[in-house]
Formats: sequence, structure tokens, C-alpha cells
Amino acid sequence: MAEKKVLVVDDEIHIIHVVAIKLRNNGYDVISAENGADAFELAREQQPDIVVTDFHMPVMTGLDLVRELRQNETTKDIPVIMLTARGFAIEDEQKEDLQISEFLSKPFSPKELLRSIEDILHEKAVMQRH
Amino acid sequence: MLEAAKELGAVILKPARNLYGMGLHFAKSRKMAPLVTCVVLCSLFIGGLAEWSRRAVITKASSGISEHATSWGWGSIASISYVAAAVGVVLVCWHWSRLISELTSIARQLQDEQVNYIGPSNSDIINHLCEAVNDRFGKETDCKAQLERQIEDLQIQMQIFEKRGRDTEAIIYSIRDAVIVVDEFDNLLMANEAAGRLFNFDPGNSQHRPVCELISHLRPDSGENQLVDLLQQSRQGKIRNTRREITLSRNDELQTFDCVVSCMYEQKKQVSSVVAVLHDITREKEISQMKNDFVSSVCHELKTPLASITAYSEMLCDGEADDEKTRKEFYAVIQGQAQRLNRLIEDSLNISRIESGLTKVDKKPASLTILIEEQLQMIKNYAAEKNIEVIRDKPIVLDPVNVDRDMISQVIVNLLSNAIKYTPAGGSVRIQTDVDEPSGLVRVNITDTGVGIPDDEIERVFDKFYRVAANKGQAKGTGLGLNLVKQIVEKIHNGRVFATSKVGAGSTFGFELPLATAQMAKV
Repeated sequence: MAEKKVLVVDDEIHIIHVVAIKLRNNGYDVISAENGADAFELAREQQPDIVVTDFHMPVMTGLDLVRELRQNETTKDIPVIMLTARGFAIEDEQKEDLQISEFLSKPFSPKELLRSIEDILHEKAVMQRH
Repeated sequence: MLEAAKELGAVILKPARNLYGMGLHFAKSRKMAPLVTCVVLCSLFIGGLAEWSRRAVITKASSGISEHATSWGWGSIASISYVAAAVGVVLVCWHWSRLISELTSIARQLQDEQVNYIGPSNSDIINHLCEAVNDRFGKETDCKAQLERQIEDLQIQMQIFEKRGRDTEAIIYSIRDAVIVVDEFDNLLMANEAAGRLFNFDPGNSQHRPVCELISHLRPDSGENQLVDLLQQSRQGKIRNTRREITLSRNDELQTFDCVVSCMYEQKKQVSSVVAVLHDITREKEISQMKNDFVSSVCHELKTPLASITAYSEMLCDGEADDEKTRKEFYAVIQGQAQRLNRLIEDSLNISRIESGLTKVDKKPASLTILIEEQLQMIKNYAAEKNIEVIRDKPIVLDPVNVDRDMISQVIVNLLSNAIKYTPAGGSVRIQTDVDEPSGLVRVNITDTGVGIPDDEIERVFDKFYRVAANKGQAKGTGLGLNLVKQIVEKIHNGRVFATSKVGAGSTFGFELPLATAQMAKV
């Protein structure tokens, strides 16, 4: 089975670093970006299997990034996990509209993130088989 | 002889005087008139009888029998009787004429409004009448006095009520909150100046005008229309107190008011008037929003380093760091993020203390030049590490300021370290001081050859937690350093901060402080 590709987006370089190590240790290919605009370009070019993005970022927020992804034909089906430091509740409608698979609040556990990625990719594979 | 005559006189006069007194008493008595009338009638009867007897005697005499002496006797009796009757008639007439004249006098006195006492009279009957009238007079006088007292009390009460009314009106007019009072038909009863200003009408000339005309607005959902509806609903529903937040648009700005509407009741629980008081809570809401934003931002900012610490420590615990090098790298990240957390907490606390006015400020005369020199020594190594030249333009010796040394040192070090942080290796940081004696100011400029800040962001660099997006990767920061500078300079020292920049060419950050000499001159 080919390595699954994960795009990690966060303006905190330490977070990217730690998530990348965790995922690489578990057999994933990790690409990363520090802001939404770069991430969108990378997603279009490299077609990752899943995107893990921070919510609060300069230039383009995580939510804006997801909107962009959903509007583009080649990226519209990529599942997204959003990391957020704010204890805010995103509107359920928005969550459904943008098809955000999961919200993880910071501080998060890399183990938990890995489990979520695995679950979502497994579900996606099952869906595709059917 | 003389004494004997006197005694004789007294003996004669005493019964005469007694007789006179009895006569007078009798004359005054109300029994006098009927008694005298009876005497007159009896006298006439006796007179008539005597006359008849005399004539019978004369007739007998003419028949031959001489009875001359008897006839004379009957004639005398008749004459005396007639005289007595005449005297009686005179007495009765005199008595009645006296009564009539006294009654006329009493009638005249009664016509005079000033008179409140009548009598006394010689006549018992009149005296009786006078007593009755005087009795009534007395009762009326008492009654009048009582009424007068009551009127006086009422007048005092009215004055008190009028004064209270005026005081209440004055209080309402002096209130800074807008107050509007409408009657049961929704017409304006009263409004103070604040209400007039808020809804743009003249409170003095708007009484009895429909309130919907005075404060309505074209937009159906406007705050003005909400207020009119609220007044009507409160009156119709007889709701004692209603509270609602109302937003009004004034000069392109939204103002929020805490609006309390209360109904005033008269008897039978009918609503007589409705009072609306509008308290401007725009500023309170802004402050509350700012506080919420600050707490929310602090929490967000605290979570960021905490997220790194949590993730890296979990990785270490789970043995995900394979080699010693990676482990050391992880430890360094944890240590760095813990320090960042500490800086954030310290800066947040400092800003919060300054904003709430709880900071202990210890202002003392100091030389700004010396404070800058001290900080330059502290930061020298950091600049050298980054290969950045720090240039101190000719220091001006006479720049005394009255400052909290620790706080101003922090301002200088924050600005210097920022300049070094965002300047690439090989660049320079220049610090210069200007004394503007006419304005009584000393100005410090710190100019770097760093990355610069875009025009649209320069205004926001002093905001809390604001970090220039493009330069975020250049250096670590809490986003609070420049805000702390602004708070210390502007809030604590009445100075001013400023910043200019050009992307790619560098930035100039600086501050102005009042010279201590100028402050002394002002005092």
C-alpha cells in the first residue's frame, strides 16, 4: 500500500515539526505549509489524502483554506481535521457545509490526532470500495 | 334737724325707689304687654259698667227719686277706668314702638357683615333673640376659624407638593440619562434635555405631541420604533417595569442603551403615565467586549505554547524521539515554549495591571540618556550575536525626565530588541534622542534596517497580540511587547508612541516623554 500523504498546516513551526515526526514514525508522508495560501497551492499540486490545519493563522484562516479547497474541483473531497486553540463552537451548519471531518482542540495529543487520521482515512477507503 | 329730714327723706324714697325698680322690671318683662292689655280691657269693662250704672241712676232720678250723689260716684269710676284704659293703650303703644325700633336696629346690625355680636337690649324678648343670634354667630365664627385653618393647611400642603414637583422636575432635567414621560394616549408629558438631544426635538415645545411623531424613525426595525412599541406595550399590558437593550444609530455610530420603562398607576389601577429612562451603555459594552477579547486572546495565546509542550512531552513519553539528538531538540522546544508561556503571563499581567490602574508607579527624576546607555549595555551581546551594528547618535546629556526607571527601561529594551530581532544579519540599529525644548519634550527614535512593516499594518502594531503576519516567522514574540510600550509611555507617563516603516527598508519606532523641566514649569 502506498504511503498516505498528509498536509499539515500551522503557523507554529514546532507544531508542524512534532506532528510530522509522529506521522512519519507511523508510515505517513508529510508535507507542510505555514499559512493557508501556501497550503492551498500545495494541496492542488500534491493532492494529499488528508489535511490537518490550524484554525487561527495569518493571511488566510483555516476556515478560509477549507472554503478554497471545497471550491476547487481537484481538492473538494479531501478530508480535513481542524486544530483550534479557541474554545469556540463553530456553527454546525458551517461544519457540515465545509465537510470538516473533525475538530481537535489545542493542546492536542499527537496520538489522538494519529488515531483520528487513521479513522478518517479508513472510512474514506471503505466508502471508495463501495 | 337736718339729719331727721334726711332720715325722713330716706324712709319716703326707699319704697318709691323700690316701686320704680319693680315698674322698670315689669316694663322690661315680656309679660308687660299682655298684662297691660288685660288691664286696658278690664278698665274699659269697668268704665262701661260704671257708665251704665250712672245712666240707670240718672233715669231713676228723672223719675223722681233723687240719687245725685250715687250718679256722681258711678261717673267718677267710669272716668277713672277710661283714663286707666287710655294710659294702658299708651303704654302698650310705647312698648311696641320700642320693640319695633330695637328690631329695626338689630336688622341693620345683621346686615353689616363685620358685626358678630348683637345686644344687649332692655327688652327680655329682644335679649332672648340677641342671645340666639349671638349663639349662632359664635358657632359660625368657630366654624369659619376651623375652615380657615384647614385652608391654610391645604395651602401649605399645596406649596410643599409644588416644591416637590419642581424639585422632581429639576432632578429629571439634571439626569444625564434620557427621560421621557408619556400620558395614557402616548402623548409626551415631559422629556429632559438629554432625551431632546438624543431624539432631536425641543423638550420645551413638544408637550402633548404624540411620542411616535417625536422619536419615530423611517426604518421599521430601528431602536426608535422599538422604544415607541415598548412604551405602548407597557401601557397596554400595564407592565410595571420592563427592561430592554435598544440600539440607536447616531452619526454613523451605533449606541446601545439600557432602556427601563415603568408604568405609573392612578386609582383603580389605571395607567396614568409611562416613564422611559435610557442609559447609555455603549462604553460599558465596549469595555466589556475588550475585556472578553483580551481574556479570549490571552487564552488562545497561552494555548499555543502549551500545545507544543503537551505534544512534545507526549512524544518523549511515548518514546517517539529515537535518538539523543531528537530528544535534546524536543527538550529545547519544551523549555523554549515554557519560557514563552511565562513571558506571556508576565506581559499579560503587566498590561492588565496598567490598564486597571493597579500598577505601583515609582516616578523619580532620571536622565533618559543614562537609561538608554544601561539598556544598550544589556543588549550589546545579543546584537553582536546577530552581527548587527548598534549606533548611538551623539547622546544629549540634558534630558531629565520624571519616570519610573524600571518601566522606561523596559520600553527601551523592548524597542531595541524588536529592532534587532527583525533586522537581518549585517544590518544596523540606530538610536537617537532629540530634545524639543519649546514643546517641553524629549523624543527617542530607534531606526533599523530590518524587514519593515506593510502600510496597512503599521497602525495596528501597538494592538494587543497583533503580530505582523509576514514577519511572524522572523522571530518569537508574544504580540504584547509593543502594547506594553504603548501603555507605559502613554498611560503612565503621558507621552506618545509612534512608528513609521517601509517594507524591505526598515522601521522607526519611538516615543516622546515630557521633559521634567517642562513639568516643573507647569507646576
